[in-house]
Amino acid sequence: MKRYLETGNFAITQGAIIAGCRGFFGYPITPATEIAEAMSRLLPQVGGYYVQTEDETAAMHLAVGAALGGMKTMTATSGPGYILYADPYGWAIGCEIPLVVLNSQRVGPVSGITGAPGQGEFYLTRYPTQGGNFETIVLAPNSAQEAFFLTVEAFYLSERFRTPVTILADQLITDGWEDISIPETDEEKEAMGLRFAERKVHPGPEFYPPTDEIDLPPVVLGHNTGALCSDWTPTEEGYDIETVEAQHKHAYRLIYKIRNHMDLISRYETLFLDDDPEIIAVSFGTPSRVVKTAVKKAREKGVKVGMVRPITLWPFPDDLFNKKAIYLSVELNYDGQLVREVQRAAPCDSEVHFFGKCGELPTVAELHDLFDKLLKGEPLKRQGWETEAW
Amino acid sequence: MDYLAEKYLRPRKIPSTACSGCGLGVIQKALVKAIDELGYGVSDIIWGTSIGCAGRQTFATWKGDGFAGTHGRVYAIARGLRLAIPPEKKLVFTVGDGDAFGIGFNHLLHAARTNTQMTIAVCDNLGYQSTGGQFGWTTPSGVKTDSSPYGMFEPNWVRDDMDVLHILREAGATFLARHVSMDGPRLEATFKKALQNNGFSLVHVIYPCTTNFGNNALGTRRAVDIFRWIKERAAPLGEEREGVIWKTGIYYDASNSRPEFSELMREKVGEIHRRYQNEGAS
Repeated sequence: MKRYLETGNFAITQGAIIAGCRGFFGYPITPATEIAEAMSRLLPQVGGYYVQTEDETAAMHLAVGAALGGMKTMTATSGPGYILYADPYGWAIGCEIPLVVLNSQRVGPVSGITGAPGQGEFYLTRYPTQGGNFETIVLAPNSAQEAFFLTVEAFYLSERFRTPVTILADQLITDGWEDISIPETDEEKEAMGLRFAERKVHPGPEFYPPTDEIDLPPVVLGHNTGALCSDWTPTEEGYDIETVEAQHKHAYRLIYKIRNHMDLISRYETLFLDDDPEIIAVSFGTPSRVVKTAVKKAREKGVKVGMVRPITLWPFPDDLFNKKAIYLSVELNYDGQLVREVQRAAPCDSEVHFFGKCGELPTVAELHDLFDKLLKGEPLKRQGWETEAW
Repeated sequence: MDYLAEKYLRPRKIPSTACSGCGLGVIQKALVKAIDELGYGVSDIIWGTSIGCAGRQTFATWKGDGFAGTHGRVYAIARGLRLAIPPEKKLVFTVGDGDAFGIGFNHLLHAARTNTQMTIAVCDNLGYQSTGGQFGWTTPSGVKTDSSPYGMFEPNWVRDDMDVLHILREAGATFLARHVSMDGPRLEATFKKALQNNGFSLVHVIYPCTTNFGNNALGTRRAVDIFRWIKERAAPLGEEREGVIWKTGIYYDASNSRPEFSELMREKVGEIHRRYQNEGAS
């Protein structure tokens, strides 16, 4: 094990290389630029390729193209670049090509504040492209160490599920400096729980059968298998067709190959859920670290509060919200995104509240004040989900 | 089915889904014939297509590995794909004028800049015909389409002073040519040269659309009238005459004069990789 005082960007790079990533395709953007910089330095040392492209649309298309040639690839960006991924995302999802995409969220809309954390792309990562009829896998780290772990995990899941896997980070995770341990031996990797999957080659020439099975090898070009893939609705042979029957089979596979294997995907952290919490604070990413401290400290004072931190954001872990409680979603946005899913998943007789900040983290004191108000039944001021007007 | 179709194309897709009288098949035949004459087999080529008439009607016709990319992005996809596939494989693309010169032009320029190996047949039916017939970036001046009902008055990119092939040459392309689909053996010969360039080759080929362009611009769907209309406006380079829009032949041939993208990347990465392996060993 090697210890570093380094950034999340560094941790992500290390994770990608350990997972077998040999192609990174990027376009400079704060706060994900350092991933591209590190990849440009490190990948050639292990025989891998870094290519800087004309825009983010090209970056992800190159990443998908190289993945279609059999390479494990990755791209990383922030919100304004992420929106340009929409086009290749759809192609990779539809053609079922494995790769890893990282989005380090800053403050939006548009360019917003470049050097501060936000969480405005919770839904965008679920629907990164048009048309629907698919499911996505999105993982959200709350530390540099976890970003390392989830990068390795993202490559693993992408191979088994034949799909892009998204890591949804934020500016504090990628730019922040932390104590990071990188395993070196196989034993250390195993002890850390890292999982690996090699690229397999689809035998061709058929596309995929209508099944929710995972571990079918993805289409790889250049092996003379006669393999086909396209942006149109495919027949089982891979030809383009415009029938609802073929479309239904395709969509079924894209949705249920993921939804029917939640046990392989779901990750979360909870606190005091079995200890009768009156309030359950919900958050992901960097703010969840403050929430965790606030919840622990509140418990010390006897406040009956618990915490849910989904690490796998999508598919959304509905099962974590089966307790009747007062839910408080703490997010780095003012419009309230995660809270909508909490409201949907929580029992109907639960209260669901929202506390949003953006560009800065909530404080423990603020959260304690909120817990207090919620227990007294007082309205939450200003940051309001179903509270008074702004 | 003829010899070429049997050897190189999928019976499921031949005859193709193109409209009756469409010139697309003639271009594809010339390209496949060039491939055959150069001695390439099905496994030597990965065939890529895109969106629009040219992409949709040629997708999955090739017997070997193939793909259809998103609109305008195959030139970006290719740069990634080339790094991962065996270097001896050739990429051959059949794309449309809207795809190459409109939505995908930025990526096309960067594919030319990097001299990435791809032989691109830009099959140009003079506008957006699969969406019903709107003008494009090569639609001749004055022509009426569904979106230029008063005649095409925007400047297009096939003019002596503003030619898309000149832009591509400046951008770094190493083989550029223009033809009309009726050029027969001359078109085949050009494709043969294009395929032998280990770099960025683009052959711009005008072909007749008997369904939408014919109807909107010329008021007829008679294939022979549309063929004649195009042929009358084309002449080999150096044999120009009044009223010629498309000068046909090879515009630029710097084949194999500078490193191909993936070759350069493999070389540079190979050097760095070896250096670090040696340092690691020492």
